[in-house]
Amino acid sequence: MILNGVAIDDTYAEAFGMKATRILITADSMTWARHAATAAFGFATSVIACGCEAGIERELATEETPDGRPGVAGLLFAVSTKELAKQLERRVGQCVLTCPGTAVFAGSDGEERLPLGKNLRYFGDGWQMSKVLAGRRYWRIPVMDGEFLAEESSGLLRAIGGGNFLVLARSRGQALAACEAAVAAVARVPGAITPFPGGVVRSGSKVGSRYKTLPASTNDAFCPTLRGVSNSELGPEVEAVLEIVIDALDDASMKAAMLAGLHAVCAVGAAGGIVRLSAGNYGGKLGQFHYRLRELLA
Amino acid sequence: MTTLTLREGVPGRVDLAGILPDTLAGLAPAAISTLSLEHDGRRVALGELFEVEGGDPDTLLIQCDRACLDNLGAGLGRGRLIVEGPAGDGAGRAMSGGQLLLGGDAGDFLASAMRGGTIHVAGNVGDWLGAAPIGERTGMAGGVVAVAGSVGARAGDRMRRGLILIRGQAGEYCGSRLLAGTLVVAGGCGALAGFGLRRGTLVLGRPPLHLPATFNDAGPVELTYLGLLGRHAEGILPSVLPTGTRVRRYVGDLAFGGKGEVLVPA
Repeated sequence: MILNGVAIDDTYAEAFGMKATRILITADSMTWARHAATAAFGFATSVIACGCEAGIERELATEETPDGRPGVAGLLFAVSTKELAKQLERRVGQCVLTCPGTAVFAGSDGEERLPLGKNLRYFGDGWQMSKVLAGRRYWRIPVMDGEFLAEESSGLLRAIGGGNFLVLARSRGQALAACEAAVAAVARVPGAITPFPGGVVRSGSKVGSRYKTLPASTNDAFCPTLRGVSNSELGPEVEAVLEIVIDALDDASMKAAMLAGLHAVCAVGAAGGIVRLSAGNYGGKLGQFHYRLRELLA
Repeated sequence: MTTLTLREGVPGRVDLAGILPDTLAGLAPAAISTLSLEHDGRRVALGELFEVEGGDPDTLLIQCDRACLDNLGAGLGRGRLIVEGPAGDGAGRAMSGGQLLLGGDAGDFLASAMRGGTIHVAGNVGDWLGAAPIGERTGMAGGVVAVAGSVGARAGDRMRRGLILIRGQAGEYCGSRLLAGTLVVAGGCGALAGFGLRRGTLVLGRPPLHLPATFNDAGPVELTYLGLLGRHAEGILPSVLPTGTRVRRYVGDLAFGGKGEVLVPA
């Protein structure tokens, strides 16, 4: 399959079931909501060493937030409910509670709940106050600029992590420009995030390493510098490969996000230096979800 | 909609406890007419007091021209009960869900021991709104009451949870002995608002004439909660909350733990 001069590999992205939640962070201005969100969702690129993967889903207008202030919706993904709960509480406690004027609310419903303000309330040292509105409990915790308002809990969601595709280009600049377009396209899809810096990964990995302590190591088959010494997947015209990794709340969101990203790269096309589109998988043995590039683009 | 219309010239008081959309569901007008009611201390057939018209069982309309019907909507758990005319005492008592819409005034002990659901009152309300029933320790423990008019004394007395919104004025001892929950009074309120407040919030649209001496002034503060509350209340009783989230906060009642607050526009 060739689209706009871009060869589409007959392969698939292998994705995994994950646990997720959505939270809403509001503040006096969008700037300060973003400050809190950027900190809370920072260092959350990969569950390999960050504990969770997280990112801003979208900005919220004042009429969309529970307290009528500007805000952002963010998604957090982890491999287990326990780890997600730990990361959520730690990140909200250190990055949202501490940020001037902010409040945090649940952005997802669900029977199973993750503590949001439930334990953070003890920061109030006995002065915290509970409020129940429309069946939802909120905690008002006194802080030095007034109060930190936090909903008691957020709903747990079954989600999908690790959707991906690889952009093979004639130069690093051209690969990056195409990836920027893809990340912008994915950002418009509700329920999906690209957790890596700027949404783009340059250090794609394979499972295992020659060093016993490392569970993953560089994806040598896609490293242009190793062409000629490893079992390379790259033709002579490819000078750089970048990857887009996507986490999404459900299968439909993942497909929509993958498709949006792939279309954006194809739109750049061969004229923009894009040679091929490929995807990362583990032979289909590890992930429950497979996204075939050619089926998505058919 | 099932309709009960009070017959002309019915004297005395009628206890309508248990006359709810749920209890009338599936009954024909003739069967509804045979239900037993307490009228001035004796049991009578409902049909002796009301004209009955059958209809959608989820909504019950009660029409009356004087405030002689007590315990309207008492125990309501689901469905909608609409009252055209004034309600007597004890309306919405021990409600756990559904909607009670009172088109006129309501008497004393409205929403007493209420646990859930919503009550809208187009007119004024008597004393002891949301208060503990006589012989019980806690008042309203959930749900929402919205009053377009004014209320009498002791509104929210011993209230445990829930939200009361009042567009008009409140009488003396408003929010007395409040355990928790939120009481909003857009107009002025009488003497000793918040007396015995343990926790909970009293939001007043106008500064009170005087608070109990056991309240301290915490000064002006910006409270995020008011934005959330305002957004929530807008869908129930529009514009009842003061605009803005900056208020003067009085903490108290210090004779009862001091964890409550009275908020007035700064």
